Amino acid sequence: MLLQLNNIFKWVNNGGNTTFLLKDINLTVEEGEFISIMGPSGSGKTTLLNVIGMLDGFNEGEYHFLEKSVHQLREKHRSALYKEYIGFVFQAYHLIDELTVYENIETPLLYKKFKTAERKALVADMLDRFHIVGKKDLFPEQLSGGQQQLVGIARALVSRPKLILADEPTGNLNSRQGEEIMDLFKKLNEEGVTVIQVTHSEKNAAYGSRVIELLDGRNVTP
Amino acid sequence: MIRNYLKIAWRNIKKRKSIAFIHITGLAIGFTCATLIFLFISFHLSFDNFHRNSNRIYRLVTEIHREDIRYKATVPPGLPNVFKNNYSFAEKVTKIVDWDEQLITVKSGDSQESYKAKTAFTEPDFFRIFNFPLLHKNFSDELDAPNTAVITPQAAQKLFGDTPPIGKTFVWNNEETVLVTGVLRNLPENTMFTSEVFISLNTLRNSWVSKETWTGTSSSLQSFALLHPGQHPADIEQVMKSFNAIYLPDADKDEYTYKLQPFNSIHLDTQYSGGISKELLWTLGIVGILLLLIACINFINIAAAQSAYRSKEIGLRKVLGGFRKQLLLQFLTETFLITLIALIVGLGLSIVLLPYFNNIFGLSLSVSGLLTLPFTIFFIILLLGIPVLAGSYPGIILARIAPVLALKQKLTQKDTGGVMTRQVLITGQFIVSIILIAIMLLISKQIRYATQSDLGFDPSAIVMAGLPDLPDEKMKASGLTSLKSEILRSPYIEEASVCFTSPGAPINGWGTDVSFNGNPGQEKFLIESKMGDKDYLKTFGIRLVAGRNFIQKDSTDEVLVNETFGKKIGINDPEELIGKSITISEDYIHGRIVGVVEDFHDKDFRQNISPVFIAWDPDRAYNELGIKINRTHAAEAIRHIRNVWSSHFPDYIFEYHFLDERIAEMYESEQQFLALTRIFSLLAIFICSMGIYGLISLFVSQKTKEIGIRKVLGGKVFNILKLFSRDFLKMITIAGLIAGPIAWYFINKWLQHYTYRTTVSWWIFILPIGCMLLLSLVIITCKGYKAAMSNPAKSLRTE
Repeated sequence: MLLQLNNIFKWVNNGGNTTFLLKDINLTVEEGEFISIMGPSGSGKTTLLNVIGMLDGFNEGEYHFLEKSVHQLREKHRSALYKEYIGFVFQAYHLIDELTVYENIETPLLYKKFKTAERKALVADMLDRFHIVGKKDLFPEQLSGGQQQLVGIARALVSRPKLILADEPTGNLNSRQGEEIMDLFKKLNEEGVTVIQVTHSEKNAAYGSRVIELLDGRNVTP
Repeated sequence: MIRNYLKIAWRNIKKRKSIAFIHITGLAIGFTCATLIFLFISFHLSFDNFHRNSNRIYRLVTEIHREDIRYKATVPPGLPNVFKNNYSFAEKVTKIVDWDEQLITVKSGDSQESYKAKTAFTEPDFFRIFNFPLLHKNFSDELDAPNTAVITPQAAQKLFGDTPPIGKTFVWNNEETVLVTGVLRNLPENTMFTSEVFISLNTLRNSWVSKETWTGTSSSLQSFALLHPGQHPADIEQVMKSFNAIYLPDADKDEYTYKLQPFNSIHLDTQYSGGISKELLWTLGIVGILLLLIACINFINIAAAQSAYRSKEIGLRKVLGGFRKQLLLQFLTETFLITLIALIVGLGLSIVLLPYFNNIFGLSLSVSGLLTLPFTIFFIILLLGIPVLAGSYPGIILARIAPVLALKQKLTQKDTGGVMTRQVLITGQFIVSIILIAIMLLISKQIRYATQSDLGFDPSAIVMAGLPDLPDEKMKASGLTSLKSEILRSPYIEEASVCFTSPGAPINGWGTDVSFNGNPGQEKFLIESKMGDKDYLKTFGIRLVAGRNFIQKDSTDEVLVNETFGKKIGINDPEELIGKSITISEDYIHGRIVGVVEDFHDKDFRQNISPVFIAWDPDRAYNELGIKINRTHAAEAIRHIRNVWSSHFPDYIFEYHFLDERIAEMYESEQQFLALTRIFSLLAIFICSMGIYGLISLFVSQKTKEIGIRKVLGGKVFNILKLFSRDFLKMITIAGLIAGPIAWYFINKWLQHYTYRTTVSWWIFILPIGCMLLLSLVIITCKGYKAAMSNPAKSLRTE
């Protein structure tokens, strides 16, 4: 078991009214799964993804990640945990504009204090794998959306995370680019990486092994 | 990792050039000011600090207690030898007579060449007390024998060119032939002794300053003592209290008190007219720190304003595994790089500006002052301190923000650091700027007041021509008549007067005692002497209020006094003074008052008008010729004066000053101070406007959405600009309310130095506030207009 959410509640208080963002979410994810989270706008998909990614907290419930009780961890340990095991892919790619493709991919390794030689090897690996060796010295603005997302995924993968969290990874791409990215996720998943994606599209959801449907913060998966 | 940080920092600088420019210039300017001020202060603190025994050296000085206390940096000529021979306080005692520029003539064959050289007369012990080494050998008996001299290489070059000066002779003042026996190393800049020629004091054996007399003092004579170790100056001063009873039995024994002034404190002791006041150094130091501080505040402000742009990157870096410490370090590296660039630019700027700075102060500070340990420490403290100060604030704020919010660009003002804090900082900048501008306005007002108000005489178009110091009959007033009449022959000369000194002058002052109308004893005050011929009043435009001008006779029996003399005596009606008898300087003048002149400023505006007398002494040697010329033909007039003068004194060098320039020179330190405050206020305004720019950019970036909504709802550009201006109006008002009283306090304190001072007008405070207001509005309009004009469809698009 990779992670387990038990009775997760998250709410915000708006002038006396309590709005629930997540309501009693229970979810177990095994290693090697490919899960798609679906639901209409405002149903809590991104919130759930952020909770899983430990970028966001919750108000009630238990969260176990690799046998660790996340809800009992201090902020510092929690961020250490996600930095170690989780890679993020964003709808808007979120590459660092000031860094080249190479440097963007290298950044997570720098933070994890990999040695120079090791970094070089790992980044070269990624460039190879995604066929972007020729683009390594370009800046994000010089790339197309699909290429940027490739770099985003390469960057998420470079430190060999156990889990990839992708928030509408194809939302800003055209359908052909989108398909390529989804194929890539599929391949990665087959290699053993656990993937959880948020998506609007039935077609993309079909790539996954399991679909979770949210409505108003509730898990309504049939 | 550091390399990576540096790389990113460099790319960020390159990418946001205008912001980086503001960042770097602001800090560089602040640092330049601080560097120049540092050089200036350390130069003045280093004065005469190279003498081996400087903490045992004292200057013998006199306090004169009359109506007020006067401080004279000298003692009667008889005192030093008594001090040396009759007591065992000191290892060595020396006298030095500084007569400033003297006429030096070098003869070679038939030709001769005359020069003016700064000349002092002193004893061999002078060079044993102070460390002014000879060029090629040690001091032995140089300056022991009369008519010998040691000179600086500079003087040697001037007098003898490239030929070796030792063994050569020159003639001093057309009187004494002097043999050069030694060459000194060039005297450093930071010493109170500025002479280039040192002639043995024995050469002046017939002069008054060489006599063992106790009556009177001359400011040109200074005496220094190197005390034995363990001697306490206070004990010695106690002993010196008995001197008057022994050597000056006729005098009021409490009137003259002899003191020991520590040599190290001379330069900063304005009581004894030292080089510079401690207050000025403090003021400059504080101004330097303030400028540096507002530059740092600026740096922080703009860096914080930038955090809005940087928040996404920081959030992202957090998600990618960056820890708070690493992110903070990245920011510090970036600010460090900018600081480094700014400091290097500032250093370069200081080196470029140093000549101008030297020009203002008449100094020759050199860049080598920057290679000292204190400056290196100063530099390193700044280099490390500024990044920590300026980088940690935005760094900590950015490192603290929640990554999810940053990625969604949903940060509020609270997350990116309180706007409140920044408003306080900007208000601080406004306060400093307003104070500086107000002070600048006031100083220029006071200088205008001093140089343009009625002095009681007319200094315009008056040439003061010096007269040579001749012992013979020629220099007696009678001998000058032909010189004067020849000069008056030109149509371009209007009036001329042979005189001791001009009415308002910092030179040749002579205060002496006076008795009035047979009153027993001397009056409690000194009377200033303005000796001159009957044309003195006409030439200088001094007005009579009672009686008549004196008639020039063979003896001195008619005297003019000024109104202040009457007031001091207790007679307010000038008419009552006429006909009364007056005795001046013991028995020098016995006469009666024939006229009273209107008060004129005989000193600068810092001091009260003194009681003054004007009289004619036919047997006296006079110093100057005051000549009123026709302003439109000034060049011809001066050429004529020069020709006549040179034909009368063929062996001397003609020198002249314009009286109005001489008066303006009395305000030299004010002029310097004004030049500095003017520069500093301009810089403060400049740095301040960058601060405003930074804050406005922040507002604009934070309110883009608000502006969009307002526009969609029908808001006009004007309304939106008003929205920006409101906060600045508030800040400037608050700054004005705080700065006003502070500036008022400083201004009043400064004006206390002046007996005659300008009024503190309301506009001195309102103008700087208005200036800040205008500046803000211009920047707001420029920066805000763009935001207000932008298409709301763009700013309201969410994803």
